[in-house]
Amino acid sequence: MSTPRLVVLSTLAAVGLVSSVAAAQQSQSDPRYKVHDMSRPQPPVVDPGTPSSQAKAGTAPADAVVLFDGTNLSKWRAGNGDAAWKVVDGVIEVAAGTGSLITRESFGDCQFHIEWMVPTSLEPDGQKGCNSGVFFMEMYEVQILHSNGNETYPDGMAGSLYGQYPPLVNACRPQGEWNTYDIIFTAPRFNDNGSVKTPAYCTVLFNGVVVQNHVEFFGRTAHMRPAAYSKHPDRLPISIQDHGDKLRFRNIWVRPLGQ
Amino acid sequence: MNPAKSPSSRRVVAICGGLVLSATACAQQSQSDSRYKIHDMARPQPSVVAPGTPSTQANVGTAPADAIVLFDGTDLSKWSDGSGDARWRLVDGVIESVPGGGYLTTREAFGDCQLHLEWMVPADLKPKGGAGANSGVYLMQQYEVQILRREDRPTYPDGMAGAIYGQHPPLAAPDLPKGEWNTFDILFTAPRFDEDGSLKTPAYCTVIFNGVVVQNHVEIFGRTAAGQPPTYAKHPDRMPISIQDHGDRVRFRNIWIRPMGE
Repeated sequence: MSTPRLVVLSTLAAVGLVSSVAAAQQSQSDPRYKVHDMSRPQPPVVDPGTPSSQAKAGTAPADAVVLFDGTNLSKWRAGNGDAAWKVVDGVIEVAAGTGSLITRESFGDCQFHIEWMVPTSLEPDGQKGCNSGVFFMEMYEVQILHSNGNETYPDGMAGSLYGQYPPLVNACRPQGEWNTYDIIFTAPRFNDNGSVKTPAYCTVLFNGVVVQNHVEFFGRTAHMRPAAYSKHPDRLPISIQDHGDKLRFRNIWVRPLGQ
Repeated sequence: MNPAKSPSSRRVVAICGGLVLSATACAQQSQSDSRYKIHDMARPQPSVVAPGTPSTQANVGTAPADAIVLFDGTDLSKWSDGSGDARWRLVDGVIESVPGGGYLTTREAFGDCQLHLEWMVPADLKPKGGAGANSGVYLMQQYEVQILRREDRPTYPDGMAGAIYGQHPPLAAPDLPKGEWNTFDILFTAPRFDEDGSLKTPAYCTVIFNGVVVQNHVEIFGRTAAGQPPTYAKHPDRMPISIQDHGDRVRFRNIWIRPMGE
């Protein structure tokens, strides 16, 4: 995060009438290239896919790792073996009491898309009856909860970073409808001695509405305890929480970013 | 977003982790707003917003209930040409830029925001020189997210669609062919200036292009300038958004904005 300093430098450079070449180098995202550099690598072409409707799941971008497309749970496991959650009518349903659904692959920085629904058969009551969550690296949670007409503490609502940040607004759809999360997650970086170099960051669009805008995680998600960091690998699985409630999921994909 | 604050909050978190201070003290430091404790029921409930629906190629979607709808297919009443009435055309419920008609500029001014718009290069358009059909979204009339439909040859990466023009190439190129609608979902954080005009915090931008992240909270290095290094000059907290007239016919639909925070 030394870029703010670079901006100040390039501003100073402009004020001091330093050569524009030097300033241009400071004002590019990658100093190896000059402005409008044709020798810079072309970004990969990606067929973007299509958005979902309530009736029909959309399709993932062509470069995404598709974690669930309605067929099977081959990309997932339980904590101690094959996934025990069920695929019912092309969607995933939590098998309460079997533990989290965990990706077999590990991820660091990523764009993550998931759709979730609280069936009308469930009886939401605050944090009970309608609770799940997406855990990046199995430790940084974006909360899933039925939050349409079901009041709870704001830092535990749908779209919150559980226990840390309430969502900016409550964009939850009614029970029985599909909700979408588009999440941009930046993994924390650690120094060799285990201290935090840069924290984790998260942006969340909830049904197309921004509810977290590049906020800093204060550490691993914990219940009623302060969040703290402890050093971990650069890539770890993503898990979906079994909180005992039969929520449903569809159209899950992830795009690793950068690194 | 106050980057100046981040290092100290990280330090506090590290201290909490290391020294095992009382849970209360740590909990205050680990909340986004230190006036509230963890799971505080006294904290204000976020406002309820009925989300909209996404567009398909055939059908225009709807905006979230709290958005300012800048264009819904009916008229250009929310727009000007920078001084007088807008001079772009309405064609079959969409906006078409008029070469020489000036930038299409919002009458209202905005700072931090979420902006949604959809753009399309008509299938019959043959831009001069094979370079592509060019336009762009100018946040605060000066920070550009590029709009471009490439023709037969590649362009410089920091000038492709989804680029922060001249500064950040897009992470990927998820653009759709001519005649199809593309969507931009932009999260923009305005720069902050000190009283003496110096830069306090730069502008930041996240761009989701047809559902694909192409800019992830990148720092804008200054006002967009062609062929010269960008710099910042102090300006008001809120300014209009404009869409560039680059001499090509580009179409737009479903434009809405949600002012954020501040």
